[in-house]
Amino acid sequence: MAKKEVYIWAAGQISVQSPLSEAWMTEPLCYREPYVQAIDPDYKQYFAPNTLRRLGKILRRALLTSRRVMEETGIACPDAIITATGLGCIENTEIFLDALIREGEELLKPTHFMQSTHNTIGSLIAIDSSCHGYNTTYAHKGISFECALSDAFLQLSNGRIATALTGAHDEMTPDYFVLLKRMGYLGHAPNGFSGETAVSLLLGGHKRENALCRLQGIEFLYRPEKDDLQQSLGRLLQQSQCRMEDIDAVMTGYNGQEANDRVYTENCARLFPGKRLLHYKHLFGESYTASGLGVYAAAACLGRQSIPAHLFFHPGNREQQGVRHLLFYNQFENKNHSFILLSACGK
Amino acid sequence: MNELILTLKKEIIEVLNLEDLKPEDILDDAPLFGEGLGLDSIDALELIVLMEKNYGIKLNDPAQGRDVFRSIRVMAGYIQANRVK
Repeated sequence: MAKKEVYIWAAGQISVQSPLSEAWMTEPLCYREPYVQAIDPDYKQYFAPNTLRRLGKILRRALLTSRRVMEETGIACPDAIITATGLGCIENTEIFLDALIREGEELLKPTHFMQSTHNTIGSLIAIDSSCHGYNTTYAHKGISFECALSDAFLQLSNGRIATALTGAHDEMTPDYFVLLKRMGYLGHAPNGFSGETAVSLLLGGHKRENALCRLQGIEFLYRPEKDDLQQSLGRLLQQSQCRMEDIDAVMTGYNGQEANDRVYTENCARLFPGKRLLHYKHLFGESYTASGLGVYAAAACLGRQSIPAHLFFHPGNREQQGVRHLLFYNQFENKNHSFILLSACGK
Repeated sequence: MNELILTLKKEIIEVLNLEDLKPEDILDDAPLFGEGLGLDSIDALELIVLMEKNYGIKLNDPAQGRDVFRSIRVMAGYIQANRVK
């Protein structure tokens, strides 16, 4: 059976950039602090007070970005809700664990307990949209989003589902930031910072008007040998009937951390010699599911047929018009590597 | 009793995150569940925890909770009669 084409129909974000907008493309907000929390919209404009009072930040953001892309596409109930989160509802987890310790393990705070699991996010979206279909959450640290997107891609391309709401959601609490800083995961560089992610993508199994881009394919590897990356990339390009010279630019996850950036520099020089590199974490910050924001940013560029100058990693580049293919390369701790190929619609 | 009612209203607003309400918005005799405040079963669990934590009252029988949480005034009366702290 012929594989179906998969498209990103709509995308929405709440992050450290202006929420629910693409203002970051023309007026990006810049940060120098190591720890930055997302800019929340006034949720009272979108939710009834009785709904809002129980929802923590990550849930509000996930629900609002999901509603936004569903409204934009007219899909009231997607066939699948596939969620990626590295830390889940960490704020609620901290609240009920703190209370548990404080009260000598006697009294549990019910609301925070019930809304502390990773799959609370997907469940809440399903309840809100009365969606009884496939619902899965991937909590695989730095490749959570790639796993979720891959699941959606496979099911859509095989025709098992026609629409999928795929999300990448992570909040960062001050306490957890301190822990991650101690572990050396983030917060040690002058140019990088910890951010928060809430991205919802509405994916569909056919092309439609106003779709942002086509999702050509995904490849990911665990602890690859040097040749494995090259082979994986070759496979993705071949399956997508795309050549390396067709790629306009490569979106990377440079984040200002020395160990992380060294991997990108070495691998990009080897895998994509001469290609122009893009980055996004200088705008959106680092988080376990930041790659969701990277794919969102790449999709936005393809949708508008334009790459803003401030997305280019090396200075001196001007805004580029007429973008056709963007390759997204992500790696996490030099263990998990992934390639995602996105193309402008109709190409 | 009036002082306890006011304290209870403030505690309920805080525990249930009823941020748009002030104590004077909650009527002493209005039902807490269904109509009135429109609380639900998850809120009932929060109220049970509140009773135990702040007043040392353990409600083991769910049917008992239905009576105790009828209104703020009933709840305050029950606390006054049974509190251990």
